[in-house]
Amino acid sequence: MLSAALTIARKDLTLTLGRGSGLVQALLLGLLLVFVFSLSLQPGQRMTPQAAAAVFWMASAFCQVLIFSTLYAHEEVNGQRQGLVLAPAPVQSIWLGKALAGIGMLAAAQALFIPAVIVFLGQNVSALWPLGLGILAIADIGIVAAGSLLGALSQGQSAKESLLSIVLFPLLIPLFLGGIRIGTAVFSGALAEGAQSWFGIALAFDAIFVAAALALFPAVYNAEE
Amino acid sequence: MRNFLEKAPCAAPWLALAGGLALAACQWLIFVYAPVESTMGPPQKIFYLHLPLAWWGLISFFVVFLSGIAYIYSRKPVWDALSGAAAEVGLVLAVLAVLTGSIWARHSWGLWWTWDARLTTALVMCFVYAGYLIVRGLDMQPGRKALVCAVVGIVAFLDVPLVFLSARLWSYIHPPSISLEPEMKLTVAACTGAFALLWAGLTLFRFKLALDAQRLDQSAMERLMRRG
Repeated sequence: MLSAALTIARKDLTLTLGRGSGLVQALLLGLLLVFVFSLSLQPGQRMTPQAAAAVFWMASAFCQVLIFSTLYAHEEVNGQRQGLVLAPAPVQSIWLGKALAGIGMLAAAQALFIPAVIVFLGQNVSALWPLGLGILAIADIGIVAAGSLLGALSQGQSAKESLLSIVLFPLLIPLFLGGIRIGTAVFSGALAEGAQSWFGIALAFDAIFVAAALALFPAVYNAEE
Repeated sequence: MRNFLEKAPCAAPWLALAGGLALAACQWLIFVYAPVESTMGPPQKIFYLHLPLAWWGLISFFVVFLSGIAYIYSRKPVWDALSGAAAEVGLVLAVLAVLTGSIWARHSWGLWWTWDARLTTALVMCFVYAGYLIVRGLDMQPGRKALVCAVVGIVAFLDVPLVFLSARLWSYIHPPSISLEPEMKLTVAACTGAFALLWAGLTLFRFKLALDAQRLDQSAMERLMRRG
């Protein structure tokens, strides 16, 4: 299953990055969001660390909607989905492959969003940055696990981006809350009491989303058009 | 099971009537029988509506979750109809629970809303099921839509245990539990029972409407097929 998933991830990354436009669109949307929020500040004014962390995760959320919409669009024409389903590998490997490609693209986008937040929203990165990296990795796993499942669900729909956003955003709020709490600590340098508990909550949601996706993906992704 | 589900809506008017009468009787329990709470006074009475609304809202979402699983395994449209009915009633109850909670909060905490874990997760749950109902209204091929809704209904339920546990885990203002006088406990139990009847009646009414809509769609489709 893992080798099939890696093959699918490599194929998707090659197709998306080879065309260029796939990730650029998602990146631009996220960067535009950060920039638009910077317009709410007076010259020289800094956004509060909590607001800056919320803007970062909002940019990541919109970005991942476009990423999974693009990743599943590769198989929408010429019956390519049937080809993928008929491949001699568990169907869950498709979910895993898309999730792996998705996390790579999301991490690449976030690597640009972080400097954008620091520059446009006037933030500093404190010595707590390893905590920030930790919650980033944990939250991203849950985001792509749910994103890959619901991306498959919205495949072939005329308004797939809005369908994905409507369903996915509220579901991911516990992960975003964890990311915002720890992000606030990273930007402000002060860790609030009990903030570490968000790691446990985010990990629990990762496990729930991965288990749900593995169980439900075969019903969602089949040869039916 | 399918026959039982299709015949169950016949009980809807009787359940709704019994629920209405029981709720009317509960007003006596709430305003006469149950004592006035010493610190909060009469506004505490809203608790007797708030708790049953929240519980039956959560139970509705559990029905959405179970019927989603049943649809995925059986692919019978009757389960999709039950999911939709339970989600609609559940969302109404959950929104009413949030509103009654907000009124109560204004009196006891001095504010309409605060970003407490229980309040936040309850509001998120309302957004999740509002999204679910929007998906139900999208223009899709019926079988595909039922499948999409079943999966979304299952995934949406993953947030519900968080709502239940939030007050125990990390809530700072919403109490995880309240100690009640025996008269208060009886009143809460009676209100919860009355809401159970009303909930069952409303859900079955909506379920019957959904089944009728499915039959009409099927009949229209067959007529079109015959015309060629």
